[in-house]
Amino acid sequence: MNTKVMLIALLVTLAGCGSESAPQKPSASAEHSAEDEGHEEDGDQHEESGEGRVALSEEQVKTAGIGLEQVGPAAIRETLPVYGAIAPNAERVRDVGARFPGIIRNVSKKIGDEVRQGETLATVESNESLQTYPVVAPLSGTVIARNANSGEQTGEKVLFAIADLSTVWVELSLFPRDIAKVKVGQIVQVGASDPGLQGEGKIVYVAPFGTSANQTLTARVLLDNKERRWAPGLYVTANVTLSQSPVPLAVRSDALQSWEENTVVFVRGDEGFEPRPVQSGRTDGQWVEITQGLQAGETYAAANSFIVKAELGKGSAEHGH
Amino acid sequence: MIDSLLRLSIARRWVVVFLVLVVAGIGVWNYQRLPIDAVPDITNVQVQINTQAPGYSPLEVEQRITYLVEVSIAGLPHLEYTRSLSRYGLSQVTVVFEDGTDIYFARNLINERLQQAKSQLPDGIEPEMGPIATGLGEIFLYTVHADASARQPNGQPYDATALRTLQDWVIRPQLRQVPGVTEVNTIGGYERQYHVTPDPARLLAFGLTFDDLVAALEKNNANIGAGYIERNGEQYLIRSPGQVADIPSIEGIIVAHRNGIPVTIRDVADVAYGKQLRTGAATRDGEETVLGTAVMLIAENSRTVSKAVAEKLAEIDKTLPAGITADPVYDRTVLVEKTIATVQKNLLEGAILVVAVLLLMLGNVRAALLTAMVIPLSMLMLMTGMVQSKVSANLMSLGALDFGLIVDGAVIIVENCILRLSQRQHRVGRLLDLHERMETVFQATREVFTPSLVSVLVVILVNLPILALTGVEGKMFRPMAMTVIIALLAALALSLTFVPAAVALFLNGKIEEKENAIVRGARNLYAPVLEAALRFRVLVLAAAVGFVVLCGWIGSRMGSEFIPNLDEGDLAVQALRIPGTSLSQSLEMQFQLERAVKDMPEVRTYFSRVGTAEVATDPMPPNISDGYIMLKDREEWPDPKRPKSDLVREIEEKLEAIPGNAFEISQPIQLRFNELISGVRSDLGIKVYGDDLDQLLKAGNAIARVLNSIDGADGVKVEQVAGLPVLSVEPNRAALYRYGLNVADVQDVLAAATGGEEAGQIFEGDQRFAVIVRLPEQQRGDIASLSRLPIPLAAGGYVPLGEVATLKLAPGPNQISRENGKRRLVVSSNVRGRDLGGFVTEARAKIAQEVQLPTGYWLEYGGTFEQLESASQRLTLLVPVTLLMIFALLLLTFGSAKDAALVFSGVPLALTGGVIALWLRDIPLSITAGVGFITLSGVAVLTGVVMVSAFRDKLDAGASIDTAIREGAMLRLRPILMVALVAALGFLPMALNTSTGAEVQRPLATVVIGGIISSTLLTLLVLPGLYRMAYRKAASVPAAEPALHQSH
Repeated sequence: MNTKVMLIALLVTLAGCGSESAPQKPSASAEHSAEDEGHEEDGDQHEESGEGRVALSEEQVKTAGIGLEQVGPAAIRETLPVYGAIAPNAERVRDVGARFPGIIRNVSKKIGDEVRQGETLATVESNESLQTYPVVAPLSGTVIARNANSGEQTGEKVLFAIADLSTVWVELSLFPRDIAKVKVGQIVQVGASDPGLQGEGKIVYVAPFGTSANQTLTARVLLDNKERRWAPGLYVTANVTLSQSPVPLAVRSDALQSWEENTVVFVRGDEGFEPRPVQSGRTDGQWVEITQGLQAGETYAAANSFIVKAELGKGSAEHGH
Repeated sequence: MIDSLLRLSIARRWVVVFLVLVVAGIGVWNYQRLPIDAVPDITNVQVQINTQAPGYSPLEVEQRITYLVEVSIAGLPHLEYTRSLSRYGLSQVTVVFEDGTDIYFARNLINERLQQAKSQLPDGIEPEMGPIATGLGEIFLYTVHADASARQPNGQPYDATALRTLQDWVIRPQLRQVPGVTEVNTIGGYERQYHVTPDPARLLAFGLTFDDLVAALEKNNANIGAGYIERNGEQYLIRSPGQVADIPSIEGIIVAHRNGIPVTIRDVADVAYGKQLRTGAATRDGEETVLGTAVMLIAENSRTVSKAVAEKLAEIDKTLPAGITADPVYDRTVLVEKTIATVQKNLLEGAILVVAVLLLMLGNVRAALLTAMVIPLSMLMLMTGMVQSKVSANLMSLGALDFGLIVDGAVIIVENCILRLSQRQHRVGRLLDLHERMETVFQATREVFTPSLVSVLVVILVNLPILALTGVEGKMFRPMAMTVIIALLAALALSLTFVPAAVALFLNGKIEEKENAIVRGARNLYAPVLEAALRFRVLVLAAAVGFVVLCGWIGSRMGSEFIPNLDEGDLAVQALRIPGTSLSQSLEMQFQLERAVKDMPEVRTYFSRVGTAEVATDPMPPNISDGYIMLKDREEWPDPKRPKSDLVREIEEKLEAIPGNAFEISQPIQLRFNELISGVRSDLGIKVYGDDLDQLLKAGNAIARVLNSIDGADGVKVEQVAGLPVLSVEPNRAALYRYGLNVADVQDVLAAATGGEEAGQIFEGDQRFAVIVRLPEQQRGDIASLSRLPIPLAAGGYVPLGEVATLKLAPGPNQISRENGKRRLVVSSNVRGRDLGGFVTEARAKIAQEVQLPTGYWLEYGGTFEQLESASQRLTLLVPVTLLMIFALLLLTFGSAKDAALVFSGVPLALTGGVIALWLRDIPLSITAGVGFITLSGVAVLTGVVMVSAFRDKLDAGASIDTAIREGAMLRLRPILMVALVAALGFLPMALNTSTGAEVQRPLATVVIGGIISSTLLTLLVLPGLYRMAYRKAASVPAAEPALHQSH
């Protein structure tokens, strides 16, 4: 009897328990959890106006180092970097000869000496009058060439060249793509390989002729050189400021990300970040003008905006071999 | 034959004991040689051919390297298939050979073919074979770490480059010497390089090019030997050292003369230690680190090797500069030892319980010890068997062993010997002499030997389908079946030789069959119950059948899993970010993950690999990282009882909060296995083969749409092939023509500028570092300044890159996968809530109907369903055959189909207890549980045979059917209870243990314990009634002459 009672009791208990759902261990197979996640997001994308949103808490935004900024006006300085070389200002170079041929009696300046206008460079004894007269500097500047030593005949030759190096030219090579952008009057930042050497000047001339060898035009910048640090012959880099204009809507350039073949900015709304396709305009590397897609005052992810993109796209991340 | 063997064993008992000792000695020796690991190695025979191609994009890698390597490998003997992967800078061809191919033979063949292929590969591209290792090869990981106060000899703090230099030139060479280590892989830090970074403007100023710099560097950095001269009878060697040794001497190298003035490197470029363009990095607890991995040679003993590595590393650690430590972060020994300790503990506790049961039930210390001796002896024989059949000791192979099962045969024999010996002593009323003893032992053994033989044969038979498994399943479970079979055969051999010999030897005193309290109590309890069971036999039988049906129903509703995962104690977190994520971005994101978790009180350390290591055993792109969360010992947790799943959940929550990462949490070995055997691991993988990547993707997407429309599809995925951002610099031929440039002129400058060009090496003792010429970092990174990159013209002057080429940012192919020499794309899907076969058939039909493939494109269906299909085909054939064989065996034993059927009918009833036990403990069905059912059927058959043969013996002796059943049942109560108790108690520790590795064995043990309870009840209560019903008519007529005694 014992047995029967036992068996029946067992059966009853089992039947009672059996009606509960079959126990299935919630296996913490992470693969699925990650997958499911992806799908949830996909689902969201379909529900909410066909676009994915990334909801992140303040805390998350902070730890991820996402910088938030507001769309607003900015001054965009569009520049064109080009290479160039320093040349003496050709308008400020004078060749000095002897007015009356004769013998050079005395030379008082050497190459590199600074001279003021009217200062005596040499004394020449005229062949005709046998009188000595001074050869004077026609302008203040530096002696850049001397072809005169005492006792020499002056003949017709050039005795001195004097250049006024208080201004120099920067000869810029413009390649065809850029020619149309560069105009007389534009401001140019000039830098040398010595990082301390910086200057600013204006474009004074754009050559009407090109050179066929390297397909370039020359543009000329007048550069102040009071401190004489721009030595002619130096190669320099220059940034031509093409335009400096305030734009009403601009975002930081690191806010732009590509998403599904669009350029987007991640705009923060009530439901999180949303990838907003935008049309961008001018840029200066730091700021980008937005011509379409954003409104002033909207908050967007600037620094580390990639994290938002990564969060949005993580459902598609996988390890394929 | 058995008779004569038995007689011989008893007669030559000392010889037998001696031989057994010899065999045991061999077992001890083999135990030393037995490879021990935590889990079986499921890696296939594969060789990776890695080719580094710095700077090559996936398309170029595929076209110029992967294809050629694949072609050269095609047609090797025993080749199963090849698959390949072309990524940025890396080509990996994985060659998979048939199981059982000798890896060295395979590597030799490949090596030969690669030699031929080399001539066709681009200059400087060298294919290399991966380390000779398996998925279990990464046994030891360590990080190289510097204290904040540590200083290099030059006073600088140790940075990632300096640490990497230590790893590359001090630690790694020494660790590679450790026997059993095939490779020491490094990831993280930067290889030290000397970087010459010219300023394009200054180069222009001097009219110099990158090439001029490279040429100058190469011409001014060499030692030569110039033979020897003889002078005054002596021989003088001539050498001219011209290598540069440091930065100032590089700076002083003259590049050109301008107006008689030498232009040195210093004038046009900066020279400094630089960072390589790396493909991977390592992090630990939120900081960069250098991570070394010791890889074990195939078929070595992981415990020995990783111990040796640990010792060597500790030795090296002492010689490292002050403040630098090489810190082991992952040591396989820990896991192996924990696992083996668990197995040992289970086995030992089981053994003790078994001995206790024997003592209690037999009431004879000598007999109990003698029986227990079978355990160590058969274990030692098993060791020999495992070494011979190349089965490693691990959780799976040792997991199904139950000492109860092993001693079952011996128990029955010893029990019967004692019974008969004491009966005879009783009869003759004195101590038996040697001859009488020997005779009695022979008779007693002979009497019950058949049941133990049959039960062993049954267990072996039911294990046969497992031996027939192939692939991963086979590698996992074949060792299990092998060890069980070997151990049982050993035990069988022992109970045929050693046991009777020892009984005859040692049971020489007065043998009293002590009816101790337990056995008496059991008898007293059993008698009325048996009586009742016999009277209400129809009811009992009906209840039993109902019970079977109920359990079948429960079983069908239970969750199932492949194998319970071994809890490795530590966690692996694979973090995945969107394709195209840069390495430094990925690192930043990894730091965040690590910082979120590392301060948890349970976490010891969290380290990760991001991207690909130096030896690309696991070619991950930079957007993926493999992280390892090493946990502290439980005792150090604030709450040592906290369930691991709870901890995992907390970690998951913390990681979840960090945006931008998808991740998969698994365990270190598991992760590695998944990567190695990858191919397609989903239920259904449809491979699209073809030429054009866009077409493949289009077809793949179409297939995915079809799959999604089919009922049951879950997680349909198209392989990620696109999405790598590519800056393509497309030369404009018209513009090039104007300037008189070649395409190569542009490309060379670009490659040198951004990728860098190697211009020789700097030697410091053994250490050698590359000299690289490339653009300064700030200019490489900026697209605008790249487009200004001056391209020198032959006639002098320059043209900016943007003038002669178009710079386009566009997504390009992320990776190109190929299989068997053709591009392929995988669409994978899992199947939920419907049968896999039906799903696949429907998918095939629908895809054939709805997806139009261009000509030259074809599909292949693969995935786990293939294995399932082949496994189920095999099993549908093998299982009936096995059942038939068991029946045949029983038929042979009893010579009566009726008796055979009676014993056989016990099997399903025995299984019910297993199902119930699983269900009560919330354990899903798994293959390990299945192995439990197999064991169970063996025990069920054993007890059934013991019982039925007792009935028959009584019938033969002329008893009436009722008396025969009653007396037989009472007679066999003790052995049946003992068999059941030893088998169940032997598994008890396994079922209850919670330490590392226990979860793999738990289902098996649970099934056996539950099943034995039901099977014992069945044997004791249902079988007598059933027998009575079966022989109702024949009750008066004695059964046919038993075939049993004549069949041998």
